[in-house]
Amino acid sequence: MSDKAKRLVEISHLVKEYPNPYGDDFRVVEDFNLNMKEGEFVSLIGHSGCGKSTVLTMLAGLNEISDGGIIVGNKEIDGPGPDRSVVFQAPCLMPWMTAYGNVMLGVKNIYPHASKAEKKQIVEHSLSVVGLADSMKKYPRELSGGMQQRVGIARAIALQPKVLLLDEPFGRLDSLTRMELQDVIIDILAREKLTAMIVTHDVDEAVFMADRCVMMSNGPLAGVGEILEIDFPRPRDREAIFSDPKFFEYREHLIAFLEQRAHIKGATRVFSNGQTMGYMDKEAISEIEQNPTLTQLSGVA
Amino acid sequence: MSQKGSDKFKYGLLKAIDVSGFKVFDPVVRLIFAEEPRKQIQDIAKYMLLPIIFCLVCFFMWDIIGPRHKTKSGEVPSPGKVLEAAKDATRFKQREGEKEAAFVAEGKDREALLADSKKKLTEFEEKTAELQELSAAAAKSGQNKIDASLNPIKEKYDTLKAKYKTAQTERKEAISTLADQFANKQASKDELIAAMEEDSLQKESEKEELKVLSQQLDDIRANPPKEIKEAQLAANKAADEVQHYKKVIDILTTGNREVKKNALLEKAEKAEAALTVATTGAEAQKQAKAVVSNKDKAGKADEQKFPKAATIYWQTYRSLATVFVGFLIAVLVAVPVGIMCGLNRIVMACLTPIISIFRPVSPVVWLLIFQIIVGAFFPDPDKHWLFQTMNESKLLPGFIHNLQVNPAMIFSACTVAMCALWPALVNTALGVSSIDKDHLNVAKVLRLGFWSRLFKIIIPASLPLVFAGLRISLGVGWMVLIAAEALSSSDGLGKYVWDEYQNGSSQSFANIILACFVVGIIGFFLDRIMIMLQKLVSFDDGSATA
Repeated sequence: MSDKAKRLVEISHLVKEYPNPYGDDFRVVEDFNLNMKEGEFVSLIGHSGCGKSTVLTMLAGLNEISDGGIIVGNKEIDGPGPDRSVVFQAPCLMPWMTAYGNVMLGVKNIYPHASKAEKKQIVEHSLSVVGLADSMKKYPRELSGGMQQRVGIARAIALQPKVLLLDEPFGRLDSLTRMELQDVIIDILAREKLTAMIVTHDVDEAVFMADRCVMMSNGPLAGVGEILEIDFPRPRDREAIFSDPKFFEYREHLIAFLEQRAHIKGATRVFSNGQTMGYMDKEAISEIEQNPTLTQLSGVA
Repeated sequence: MSQKGSDKFKYGLLKAIDVSGFKVFDPVVRLIFAEEPRKQIQDIAKYMLLPIIFCLVCFFMWDIIGPRHKTKSGEVPSPGKVLEAAKDATRFKQREGEKEAAFVAEGKDREALLADSKKKLTEFEEKTAELQELSAAAAKSGQNKIDASLNPIKEKYDTLKAKYKTAQTERKEAISTLADQFANKQASKDELIAAMEEDSLQKESEKEELKVLSQQLDDIRANPPKEIKEAQLAANKAADEVQHYKKVIDILTTGNREVKKNALLEKAEKAEAALTVATTGAEAQKQAKAVVSNKDKAGKADEQKFPKAATIYWQTYRSLATVFVGFLIAVLVAVPVGIMCGLNRIVMACLTPIISIFRPVSPVVWLLIFQIIVGAFFPDPDKHWLFQTMNESKLLPGFIHNLQVNPAMIFSACTVAMCALWPALVNTALGVSSIDKDHLNVAKVLRLGFWSRLFKIIIPASLPLVFAGLRISLGVGWMVLIAAEALSSSDGLGKYVWDEYQNGSSQSFANIILACFVVGIIGFFLDRIMIMLQKLVSFDDGSATA
């Protein structure tokens, strides 16, 4: 009973199909199963184009579910909801609004009955949590990329969701800014006791941030390849973890999976099904074959 | 600190220049603040001086080539003549203003004006006399000049003419003797015919020679020296002023509103006095009627307005008002419809055939259609409530009465609206339908409702494209308006051009070119205003990209 109560997100037999212009539908994700406990941080890692973002956007409700289902807090989801908020890869701020206005935009909608002062407090609190207490009145164009993404994070947490979804949130940032923001996220999650899922293709990030690391097999017909439990204490200390031999073990494990199994599994799946591959994925796969895998995975992309 | 302050001022100024679309002045500002003077001077030379020189060269060529092309309505006016026309137009406006002032002046003001006008009148009368003398002198001395160039040619012409005349009579006699000889069989047929042919050839060539000379004479007579023309022009101008002040004095003494009113009231009083002593019933009735009708007329005289003639200033004002109304209608229709089209593909599909078919229709066709359709709403325009309120209502300020709204203005505005509609509509639809998908995803995640999605995300995001469309619309509207006014004879710059073309005075051609510049310059500023608005709502200067 206790196990069931703790479960916040249940993804079962999730399928995503895209219509193919020649009739036979093209399956990107097939039979994806994952359960997330309350307060857990899961990272989703895989080669680019394997469908990890597709899974996340389906969980966010931005992408239609072809088959299977997702339950969040004992309710099957149907479109976006206030219990799940998303931090996108691009900050996606409204350039005609200040940082404050951007955060307020969501707050106004989620808490229509709150008083002005309350709303203001929520917005100011979430902006100061991400370290932007001094830049509330600035417009996006006056903020650096990292600061813009901080606003994106503030906007997501201001909605006080149950689940925070991070879609390659640091993909466009330089590595120093990325580290700063990773710490910001870890702090917030610890403080607000949020459940979170991060999609990334950075192995270090996946290991450092998450409690569990879900490795996805290559698409099409991608699914959960393997799940790795990361056993580091929270709050996480960057230096301690990066010098821990366990960290390297996890890292090796992930890379080994991504280098060999994910690739083979994906490929065999395609051919065993007798389907021709889609154009996109053919390209993606040949790209992976041509490039040394390690450069893909080191996250410097 | 002060250094920083001036820097801030400088960049503020540069930004203002950029936003207002006068980027040409950028190096000038930088030069004033002594930023890389060498580079700025080079920039000024390249992007300011050279264009100015080029324009001057164009004007110079116009000045030379224009007057050489003779047309039915005189030679093509040079820039100087157009400038003269502009000055005359301004003076004309002033005169109308003076006349109006004379019409409405009351009491002491009227007397002061009268004294002033009389003073001016004598001034100009003296000036006219002086100038006429000068003109006569110039004509005299000019005549000498003309004679000097005319006389040798004339002499040559006269002598040649006399010579040819005698030659002709001689030949005629020779032929007649030859004919007599032929009759007496002393000469052959061929001889006679040859003589006849010779004579006709000679005649032809003599005629040609004389024609060339007479043409030369005509040319000299038709083009008197410049001094004469100028002196005459100056005298005429002064005489015009005299005429004007005579008219002003006339208005002040007899046509003035107050004078008329007082005269009427006096009549009423007289009639009243006559009424008190009236003995017969018929007499009393007549006087009573006179009292009432004169009082009534006096009351009406008070409200009378001076019938001002149309100046180019007023025409411009009216054109601007018309284009503004038309553009406003276009915006009010195009933007909401465009947003609906952009939001909903079904609406777009429904409207596409209508847009595609009506967009290419010529403004002239629209004007005629509106004249018929809208005209039906105003069977008796003078009594229609719309025009009565627009032109007479006390609630509206004078500058609206001044427009003298009439049906033609409404047709023109509707035509402008119809033609300006399409670019705004298409661009708005495009702007709304091509919003960044990320923005819409954010809206979904934030669970914004339809209205806040519309007003907080969709409209702001599409504003730059909407304004780009509005800019095109205003340009189209202004162009269409001039044609519509010319065709519908709705007062405005278009009608001004058309009237000038029709009336064909010596200055009309210059006036048409003047109007061309006025239209162009106003169009330029309208466009600049729209660019400015467009830049103010744009946010794509290095914003969204992380």
